[in-house]
Parts: sequence; C-alpha cells; structure tokens
Amino acid sequence: MTGIRLVWLYAVGRRVPFALIALAAIATGLRVALLGNWDAYGALQLPLCFEAAAAVTVVATTASPFGEPERVAGPWLPYLRLAVTIALTVTAIGALLAAAATGGHLSEGTLDVLRNVAGITGIGLLFAAAVGSGLSWTGPTAYLVAGVYALYTRWHPPTLTWPWLWPGRPPHDLGGALCAGLVFAAGLAVITLRGARDRLGDGA
Amino acid sequence: MTRLLRMELRHNAMPLLLPVVVVLFWLTTYRKTVVMAPFWNVRAASLQLNAVLDFAVSVTGAAAWMGSRETRHRLTDQLAITARSRWARLLVPWSATAIWALVVYFGCVAWLYVATAHQASWGGPLWWPVAVGAASVAAFSALGFAVGNCLPSRFTAPLATIAAFFVLALSTQLIHGSQSYWNVSPIVTGPWDMGPQPGVATFYPFVPDLPIAQVMFLGGLTAALLGALGLPARAGGRSLRSAAAGLTGAGLLAAGTAAGLAGTGTLGPHGMIDIPALHDAASDRPLQYTPVCSHTTIPLCFNPAYARYLPATVDALTPVLNQIAGLPGAPTRIVQESVTYRQESGNGVAVFCGGGLVHSVRVFPVVLADQLPGLAMTAAQIAGQTASMYTESLVSGVTGAGPTASPAQNAVARAVLMAAGVHRSTVISQNGQATCGTDAPGAGRLEVAPGTPDYAAAQRFAALPASARHAWLVRHIAALRAGQITLEQIP
Repeated sequence: MTGIRLVWLYAVGRRVPFALIALAAIATGLRVALLGNWDAYGALQLPLCFEAAAAVTVVATTASPFGEPERVAGPWLPYLRLAVTIALTVTAIGALLAAAATGGHLSEGTLDVLRNVAGITGIGLLFAAAVGSGLSWTGPTAYLVAGVYALYTRWHPPTLTWPWLWPGRPPHDLGGALCAGLVFAAGLAVITLRGARDRLGDGA
Repeated sequence: MTRLLRMELRHNAMPLLLPVVVVLFWLTTYRKTVVMAPFWNVRAASLQLNAVLDFAVSVTGAAAWMGSRETRHRLTDQLAITARSRWARLLVPWSATAIWALVVYFGCVAWLYVATAHQASWGGPLWWPVAVGAASVAAFSALGFAVGNCLPSRFTAPLATIAAFFVLALSTQLIHGSQSYWNVSPIVTGPWDMGPQPGVATFYPFVPDLPIAQVMFLGGLTAALLGALGLPARAGGRSLRSAAAGLTGAGLLAAGTAAGLAGTGTLGPHGMIDIPALHDAASDRPLQYTPVCSHTTIPLCFNPAYARYLPATVDALTPVLNQIAGLPGAPTRIVQESVTYRQESGNGVAVFCGGGLVHSVRVFPVVLADQLPGLAMTAAQIAGQTASMYTESLVSGVTGAGPTASPAQNAVARAVLMAAGVHRSTVISQNGQATCGTDAPGAGRLEVAPGTPDYAAAQRFAALPASARHAWLVRHIAALRAGQITLEQIP
C-alpha cells in the first residue's frame, strides 16, 4: 500500500495525470488530423509533429517540484523515474498507434512511431539532464524542425540521410533505429541515475 | 523601464536557446540556400521560408516559458503591488525575448546575405522577405508569451511550440491558387508548390505586394496579442485597459484586412503575386540593365544575373553559331528573354517561353533552362539543355527547314547540324525539365532518316570543308529557302 501511495505521490508531483490527459488529446488530435486530405509532404510530416508533441509531454514530467530535499530523502527515486518514464513512453506510443488503428493511416507505419517517439523522448531526457526539464523541450522541438526538413529533402536534394536524423530514414532502416534506440537508452540512463537538472520554477 | 529591460535581457530564456537556433538555421536554411543558384530573389525566398520556421519555433517556446514565469515562480501576488501596471510589466519580458530573437535573426540574415553578395553577379539584397521574417519573430514571440501567460504550466511551452510549428508548416496544405487567404502565412513567398524561381524578379522588379500584406498581418497579430494581455481587470487602470482594447481592436482589424487583401492576389505574368490594392504599376515595367555579351561570331547576350552561365552556354552553342554566322537570315544577336507565368487550376502554374521583350527579327530570343520549372542543374547542364532546346531552331531559321520544307532544305539543315556535331534529331528534355524552342519553325522536326537520299545528301554536304560549305550556303541560301534547290544540286 505504501508503495502504491509513493508511486501516486510521485506521479502527482510530476503532473503525470495531466500528461496522460495531454497524451490522450494528442492522440485524438492525430486521429482528427488523419481525416484530412494531405499531400505527400503533409502525410509524412504530420505524424512526426504529433510524435514530437507526445515526446515533449513525457519529458515535461521529469521536473521535480521538491528539488534537493526529495533527492536526499528518496532512495526509490531512480526506480520511480525509470518506471514512470518508461510507462509514459509506452503509453505515448500506444496512444498514437491506437489513434491510427481506428481507421487512420500512418504513411510510415508502426515502426516509425516507435522509433520517433522513443528517439525524440531520449533527446528530451538528455536535455532535461543538461539544461533542466523546464527548457528540455528545446531539443525535441529543434529536432522536429530538423526531422521535418530531412523528410522534405527526400524530394529536394541535397538529401539528409544521416542515421542520427532518423525521421528522414525509412521506418525499417536499421541505422536510424539503432541511433534512436541509443539516444533513448542514454536519456533514460541519465534521467534514472541523475534526474533532471533542477531550476527554480521548472516544477510548476 | 530601461533598467528593467536590461534586467530582463540578462535573465531571459532566449539566450539559452540561441545555440540551438543557430545550428537549426545552419542545417535547414544556410546549408541549403548557399548551394542554390546565386540569385537574390531565390536566396531571399529560401531565407523567408526556412528562417521563419526555425525562429518561430524557438521564439514561441522561449516566450511561452517567459510568459508563464510569474505564475511558475508563484510571484503573481508579490508583483501585483509593484508600481508598474501588470500590462507594462508583462511587455518588458516579451520585449526582451523578441529583442534577443531579432538580434540573432538579423545576424543569421547577414551571414546568408554576405555569402550571397560574394556569389551573385547582379542585383542586390531584397529586404521585404527579411522584414516578413522579423515580423514573424515578433508575432510568434507575442503568441507564445500570451499563451504562456494565460496557461502557465510546464506543458505550455513545449506544446505551444509544436502547435505553432504545426500551424505554420502544415497550413500551407490549405493553399489553392494565388487567390488563397492562406497566402498570408509568412512562409509563403510566391505561388505555392512552385518554389523559388530564378526567372522571377530578374527581368522585372521584385513585387512586394504579398510581403506587405504578410507584414501587416503579423504586425496586426502582434498588436492584438499584446493588447489582449492588458484586457483583464488586474492588468491596469481603466485608461490603460481602454488603450489595450484599442490596440487589440486595431491589431485584429489590420490582421483581418491583410488576410482579406491576400485573398485578392493574382499571379502576375512576372511570376509574383499582385495584390491590386497594394500594387505599384511601376513594378510591371521591365528592369533596365546592360546585358552581358559574348565575343562570338553571333554574340550571346544574357541578363547580368545569369552571367555565370554565359561561358558554358557559349561553349555549347558555338559549333552551330560558327556554321550559320554571316548567312542571310542568320540572327545578328542571341538575347536572353524572360518567361511568363500563368495560374492554372489548383496550385498549378504554367510557364511560357518568351516574355515578349525582344522585338527585332534579327535578334533570336532564348530562355535558359534554369528559368523553367524543374530540378536544379549545374551551369554545364543548363548550357547543354539550352543548346538542345535552340540548336535546331537556329538552323531552321536560316535554311527554312521544317515539315513543309523541301527535302533539300531539310538535308542541308541536317548537314549543318552534323557539321556542328549535333546528331540528335529532336529536342530532348533532361531530368524531366520543361523545354522551350519547340514552337519555332522546324524545331524538333528535322527528321532525316538514315538510308534515304536526303540523308546521303546531308552526309555529303557535311563532309565538305567548312569554308566550301559556308561559301555554297552564302551563294545558294536564298534559292534554298525558296525551295528551288534539289537534292542533286547539293554538293
């Protein structure tokens, strides 16, 4: 019972319930957007916007409203951070896939969602550890612009095919998947062990 | 107030984002734009399209973060008792965010424009696209600030940033033709789906109608959003709130008018969008320039903006020009001409060869392949494509060859092409590039099938020494054109 209460308090402190509502709204937004008649550019770029939105929502929950006292007194914190981040990432991927599965069509398929959400979340987690969770969205949003540009260069050379810019690679590409996986693993490891860098006001 | 602004500049979130913005600008704007053809209009259009996206995303997030600061730090009540009104207090961090973003934006513009100045052979910087970018920075910072102020939360800045990007990047899906209200979007630089064209704003002045409407829209949006911050009762006194309401109303009016004006736009023949209420008739007059000419037997004269393509085009056309130079009916000059544009259904744009600027029969007008829609090409590819478009027209113009011409005319024309090293019999299109020159008499129709008496005569005539062939042509070209020469009379 104490364990459940601890998880609940941690989740509330990190605004996880709000994040879940936001993820549901993002998935609904994707479903509604997929009703539109998009051209080839839009069909590829649209899911990436929603994937990035889901990723920044997950990352936003890394901010702690308590800071140092919680760090000193909470031996379970690393496990909570790991569990909640993984659970939210899985929820984000699941929500987007569920939205697309109800009659929508994702032009790049399921693997693309998995790779992009995981990878962009990883970028956000690394930024949260480096600059604080308040500004952790700068990495994922900048990456979104670069990713959309990489997709655009499929039609307009010079093409960007670096595996580190995985949204521009096909969904089954191993290099892109490995890079995204590595970034997610690195982000998860850093956020689990160190947590987000605390700044005044980040945890609101 | 100045001291407060200095303090806000020191404690703003935007400087932390600057490295990210500069890297993004380099990756998606600079790197792409500097490899484009060095025409000011092409570079300026690419700058506007890409830099607006780069900066709008970052500044929206930073401003949203700054806008929610008072609430996040739980300082709202504490600051409510300060001497300044809440509205005035809020405008300072917004100003600081916008100033930081604008300083970096202008730095990035300078970076790209200096590089362009070193590469462009003619023309000068276009400032209207830069102004649209600057107005976008101000508008998106106001948008982010207002959203952050109204919905202060850790989720606001990231989600507002992505929403702004989504609206900006994907709203263009709603554009249908040049009369679309969505053309007021700051990333639209001309007919959507056509992309920056070197043929635009080189023969005619840059038409600033659409950028003016965009700046007006963005300025109005900025004023409306900043005015809205002063509307709540706690924002200030009655007079201050009245001023805020006036500002909001004026901003909305300006933005609405600008969107309405954008909806009246039409694609002009020069390839830019004309808005009747903003249009200056002077911009419909062709630009005056001194052409850059080659020193060949028949001079090739290009618009100075295209000077870098002249040597390669001269190399590609010289063999044919040497064959026809001095013959009766041969052009005295070959002059580059503009193309004309026409809106088709949806976002389609038809491009027509020849802008009607060349009026002399002794002057042969050409359009470079780069002026036509298609993939980007190197100077050598442009020259090769241009030569393939016009070689047969040049020879046909002298010999009178064509589908209704005599066998001798077609044989002589084929022989001249053979002697010039041109063995293709039809105008070809490389890389799916559109072509010009196919409407000239005989162009693309000099079909002389191998094994026929016509082909044998062509081979015989082509085998003559150049001087003998030229001398025969000088003596007999009039008779040949009149159809009085038979195949047997060809030496």
